[in-house]
Amino acid sequence: MAYPELFPWWAMTISWGIVFLVAVSTYLYIGSRKRRGRKDNKIGEEMLNLMRDYVFVWVLLGLLILYIVSIGNGSSVLFAAGNVIIEIILFIYTIKNRTRKQQPS
Amino acid sequence: MAKEEPTVIRKDYWSMPYEDLFRTLGTGEGGLSEGEAQRRLEAYGHNELPGRAFSRFQVLLRQFKNPIFVILIACAIIAGFFEQIVQSVAILSMIALSVILGFYNEYRAEKIVEDLRQAVSYKAVVIRDGKPSEINSSLIVPGDLVSVYVGDIVPADIRIVDSKNLQVDEATFTGESFPAEKNSDVVDLQKPTLQQLCNCLFMGTVVVHGSGRGAVISTGKNTKLGSISRSLTRSHPETEFQVGVRKYGNMLLTLTLGLAIGIFSLNAAVGHPLIDSLLFSLAVAIGLVPELMPAIVTISLSQGARNMSKRRVIVKRLVSIEDFGNIDVLCTDKTGTMTEGKIFLKGTWSLAGDEDPKILHYSLLCTHAAVVGEKVTGNPMDIAIWEHAMGRNEQESVKSYTSVDEIPFDYQRRMMSTIVSKDGRYILITKGAPESVLPRCGHIEVKGRSEAFNDHMELVKEKFADLSRAGYRTLAVAYRRTDAKGSYSVEDESDLTFLGLLIFTDPPKGDAHEAIARLKEIGVDIKILTGDNELVASEICEEIKVPVKKVVLSSDLSKMSSIEIRAAVEEATIFARITPEQKLDIIKALKENEHVVGFMGDGVNDAPALYEADVGISVDSAVDVSKDAADIVLLEKDLLVLANGIDEGRKIFGNTTKYILMGTSSNFGNMFSAAFASVFLPFLPMLPMQILFMNLLYDIANMTLPTDNVDEEYTKWPRHWDIGFVRKYTLFFGPFSSLYDFLTYGIMLFIFAAPPALFQSGWFVESFWTEVLVMFVIRTRRIPFLTSHPGKWLTALTLSCVAFGTIMPFTLLGSFLGFTALPLDYWALLILMVVTYLFLVDAGKVFFYRICKF
Repeated sequence: MAYPELFPWWAMTISWGIVFLVAVSTYLYIGSRKRRGRKDNKIGEEMLNLMRDYVFVWVLLGLLILYIVSIGNGSSVLFAAGNVIIEIILFIYTIKNRTRKQQPS
Repeated sequence: MAKEEPTVIRKDYWSMPYEDLFRTLGTGEGGLSEGEAQRRLEAYGHNELPGRAFSRFQVLLRQFKNPIFVILIACAIIAGFFEQIVQSVAILSMIALSVILGFYNEYRAEKIVEDLRQAVSYKAVVIRDGKPSEINSSLIVPGDLVSVYVGDIVPADIRIVDSKNLQVDEATFTGESFPAEKNSDVVDLQKPTLQQLCNCLFMGTVVVHGSGRGAVISTGKNTKLGSISRSLTRSHPETEFQVGVRKYGNMLLTLTLGLAIGIFSLNAAVGHPLIDSLLFSLAVAIGLVPELMPAIVTISLSQGARNMSKRRVIVKRLVSIEDFGNIDVLCTDKTGTMTEGKIFLKGTWSLAGDEDPKILHYSLLCTHAAVVGEKVTGNPMDIAIWEHAMGRNEQESVKSYTSVDEIPFDYQRRMMSTIVSKDGRYILITKGAPESVLPRCGHIEVKGRSEAFNDHMELVKEKFADLSRAGYRTLAVAYRRTDAKGSYSVEDESDLTFLGLLIFTDPPKGDAHEAIARLKEIGVDIKILTGDNELVASEICEEIKVPVKKVVLSSDLSKMSSIEIRAAVEEATIFARITPEQKLDIIKALKENEHVVGFMGDGVNDAPALYEADVGISVDSAVDVSKDAADIVLLEKDLLVLANGIDEGRKIFGNTTKYILMGTSSNFGNMFSAAFASVFLPFLPMLPMQILFMNLLYDIANMTLPTDNVDEEYTKWPRHWDIGFVRKYTLFFGPFSSLYDFLTYGIMLFIFAAPPALFQSGWFVESFWTEVLVMFVIRTRRIPFLTSHPGKWLTALTLSCVAFGTIMPFTLLGSFLGFTALPLDYWALLILMVVTYLFLVDAGKVFFYRICKF
C-alpha cells in the first residue's frame, strides 16, 4: 500500500463523514417525530418503524465497511462488487419508499 | 386599536354656505381673473399628481440591491488580485449580465406603465373673468370655478355650488359599483367620511349623469388623490423573496468566512507555506459562493416576465415574480374582479310573484338612455334596463308608443315620469326610488287586476327592505291613465298604480367560479375586502361558490387590538364596509402571520394596500396611482390570468430553489472535503487555479437551469423561503459529496499510489462529475429521467460540460492547469462510484423529504 501513514487518517476521516451523516439523519428524524407528535405505543412497532425508516442509515454504515475493507485491501474487485450490490439495494429502497406525489404538509 | 375614520378634506368646506366658501377661497360667481389664476398657479403649482418619478438611474440602482453581489464583487477583486483574471472577468461578467437583464426588463415594464399614464391627459371647463373656457386640467388652481358634465373626469377636488341630477362614479375611492348622488347642499357634519361628502367631487372620479359646477378647493398633491399618491413615495417594503435572499446571503457569508479562516489557520498550523495556504483558502471560499445565482435568478425572472407578458400580465418589479408564485392569500375587492363591475338588471318583482313583462316595458318607456344600434349610453341604471331588454329582444315592444312629455328627475322627488300615448290612450309612467314612488300609489296591479295599494303596502315595503338589506338597488315602477293636455307637472304624479320593482345588481363574472376553483386548487386562499355591505359580498360568494368562514365588519375591526386582528384575518373570508386604512391593517396582519399576501385593486384607495402587500396587482384600466403602486399590472381584470401568472411564478421559484439547494449542498461538500484534505495530505488536493476552473465549468453547466422543467406537483402549492430548510438540506446533502471525495482520495492514494498531479486530476474529474450530475437527482423529488424529465437545454449543456471536464486532463489546457492523463482502471471505478453516489443521494432524498417538508 502506498502512503500507509495516511491510511489511518483517511479511514478516520471517512468514518467521521459517515458518523456525521448518521448523526444529522438521526437529528432530523427525531425532530420530525417530535414535530408530528408521533407516538407508537408498542415497543415492537417503534422498533419496526425505526428499522424501516433507517434502512438508508444501515446502507450508509454498510458502505463505510465496504469502502474501508476494499480500499484497505487494495481490492478493486471487492470495491466494484460491493458498489453493484449497494446500488441494487438503494434502487429497491427508493422505489418502495417513494410516494407518488410528495406535497407539503 | 380603535381608530377614528379619517376626515377627507382638511378645511370644513363641506359645511360652508356659498358666500363663506367663495370668501374663503377668494373667488366669486364669475370665477377668478386670469391674472389671479396665473398668480395662484405660481404659488400652488400645477394641478398634477406627484407620482413616482420614473428614473432610469433608480431602476438601475435597484438591480444592485442584492447581498450576494457584495460577496461576488469581493471574490472578483480577490481573484484579480491573485492574477486569476479569467475567474475575475467571469464573475464580473455574470454580475453585469444580471444587472443588464434586470434593468432591461424592469425599464421596459415601467415604460409601458408610463406610456399608459401619458395617454391620459384631459381638458376641463373653467369660468374665469366671468366667461367659460376650456383649459388643460393641469392649469386649474384653487378657487377656480369648474363645470363638469357626463363623461368628465373630475379634474380637482371641488365643492359643488350647483348641480343638476349629478351622479359620480366614485368606485375608485369607495369600491362602490353604484354611482354616488351629488348636490350642493351643506353637509352639517364634524368629520364626514368620503361617502358622506355628497357636496364634494374628488379628482379622478367620473361624472356618469347630470352636470354640476363648483369651486376648486384643492389641486395636485393636496387633493385626496394626491395625498394617497404622496404616501407611495416611501421605499417599497422588502418582499419575502428579498428577505430570503438576504438571509441566504448572510448564511453564505458566515460560512465562507468561517471556512476560509479555518482552512488558512489549519494549513498554516500544519506547516504549509503561508502564501499557498492563503491562496488555497481563498480559492475554496470562492468555490463556495454561488456566483451564478444572481444571473440564474435574473434570467429566470426575465424569462418569466416574457412568458407572463404573453399571458397579458406586465411585471413592473421583477423581484415580485417569485413572491407572486408564493402567494397563499389573495385579497381582492369584489367589484370588477369577482363581479362584472357594471350594473345589470337582475330582474323584476311584482306582487304576483312571477316576472311581469309590463314592468320592463313601462320602465323602457321611462328612461333617458340614448340607443344607437346596439350601443346604449346614459345613466348606468337606464343602460342596464335597455341591455336587459335587448338581451331578451323585448325592446321592440316600446316602438308602438309615442313620447308625449316628460317630468324630469330631481333629487327632491328622486323619480322621473314620462307621458306616452298609444292608440289614443295616454299613460303617465313613473320610475324612481321606492321611498318616493310608493307614497304616491293608490292602487296596485295584481295579475292584470287593480287592487287597493293600502291592502298590500306592507308586503311591498317588506320586499323592498329585504332587497335593500341583501344589497340590491331597486327602482319602483308605477303608472296611471291620464288625459291629453298641453303640459304635465309633478302634481300629475299621484294616485299611481304600482306595477313592481326593478332589481339591479353587479353580478359575478362568468368565469369567476372557475377562477376561484383554480386558485383554491393551487393553494391560494381568497379574502374579500370590500366597501360594500356584508350581504352583497356574501351573496356574491355564494354564487361563485367561495365558502364563507366568517364575515368581519369595519365596525368590528375598528374595535379590535392588533392581536385580535391577526386572529380575525385567519378566520374571516369577507371584510365588509371597510375603509382603505383597514385594508392596510388586514394586509399587515396577514404578513405578520407569515403569509405571502397578494392584493388586487384598481382604486385610488387601494394604492397604500397595493404598496404594502408582498405583491400588489393592478389592472390596465386602474387609476395611475394604483398602477404606480402595483408590482404587476394585468391587461385583463381576470382571476384566471392571475392563476396562470402564479403558476409561472412558482416555476421560476422552483428553478431558483434548485440552484440554491444544489450549490449549497454539493459546493459545500466539495469545498469542505478540500479543506479537510489540505490538512492531512502532504500536497494540495487541488491547485487554486484548478478549483476556480472547476467552478467556472460548473457555472456554465448551470446556465440553462432557468429553462428546466418543473414537476407539476411543485406548482400545486405555494412555497415559502425557508432558510432553515436550506440549512438542513446543506447539512444533510453536503456530507454525501464530501464522503465520495474522501473515497476518491482513498482510491487515488491507496489503489493508484497517485502522485500530486494524478491525484488532483482524479479528484477534479470525480468532483466535477458528482457536482454536475447530481443536478439531475436534486432537481426533482421524483425518479430522475423515469418520472421527471429534465429540460432539453439543461440536459444538453450539462452532458456537454461533463464531456469537456472528462477530456480536460488529456488536453493542452489540462496540462497548462496541471492535470495529467488518468488510467483506464480509474474510469471504471469512477463510473461505479458515481452511480452509487447518485443512487445514494436519490435514496437520501426519499428519506430527507419524508422527514423535512418544504
